[in-house]
Amino acid sequence: MSIKSTILTKKDRAAPRSREERKRLTGRRILEAAIRVYARDGILAATSSAIAAEAGVAHGSVFARFESQESLIAAAIQDFGAEVPLRLHELVRRGARTKEVLAAHLKCIREREDFYARLVVEAPLLPEEARTSLVLIQSAISFHLAPAVEADRAAGRIKAASLPLLFNTWLGLVHYYLANRELFAPEGSVIDARGPELLDHFMSLVSKGGRK
Amino acid sequence: MTEARAKTCIACGMPMSKPEDYPLRDESKDYCVHCARADGSMQSYEERAAGMAAFIVRTQGLDEGAALAAAKSLMARLPAWAGRQ
Repeated sequence: MSIKSTILTKKDRAAPRSREERKRLTGRRILEAAIRVYARDGILAATSSAIAAEAGVAHGSVFARFESQESLIAAAIQDFGAEVPLRLHELVRRGARTKEVLAAHLKCIREREDFYARLVVEAPLLPEEARTSLVLIQSAISFHLAPAVEADRAAGRIKAASLPLLFNTWLGLVHYYLANRELFAPEGSVIDARGPELLDHFMSLVSKGGRK
Repeated sequence: MTEARAKTCIACGMPMSKPEDYPLRDESKDYCVHCARADGSMQSYEERAAGMAAFIVRTQGLDEGAALAAAKSLMARLPAWAGRQ
């Protein structure tokens, strides 16, 4: 996994300097463990004892750091959400086109595919705090896609369509394959297996004259 | 400057990493440019909720009521609006 914010560095794993630092690192370890357990067992099915075991901490440590299961789920979603817009922002700043931004979006999903696929399937059943976090993350991604779409539209490369419809069409396509990934890629990553095809198909839908 | 880079807007949660992220480029503020009025003062709860809901509608096309509920739910977890519903 290359998303920096989820990785404890070697320095982090060395003996921490202060009580505050130890608390921060324990929280980080619990969060990373929770994301792995959510990916493995499902978000709603995951238990705090399984997360504590995965993190190698006492059961009580989970609730000493996160006041409830709901806040831990929301923190895991926010952890994903904090990184994606930042990476898209950098691309858009450099003048990337729509296809490049969407390819980067797929790459971000790929790095957390097991967790994100659970999120897609379970989202309607998650606590309000988690659902709200997800709404804001998707808005942030759509917001960062907007300049690339606008530039492609102004240059006559893609059709005029509302940003929400365009973004929701993309999400609908990707989420369908993620939700049914055992049907489309039973042996591994559906993003690896079908991502390029989905991206080409989407671009052909939105491109003027049907070209990519 | 390193302190400023670590700041997160108390009113919307956006990371503030550069002077343009702050109202009137004033890095002493704890809220971001999107949560400020033209004179640099912080927006009211109602103004911010409406602004955030409009952002959600503009980017995802949600129903306005659902977008406002999502905005208020998020804001309830932010320091500037703690305890508000």
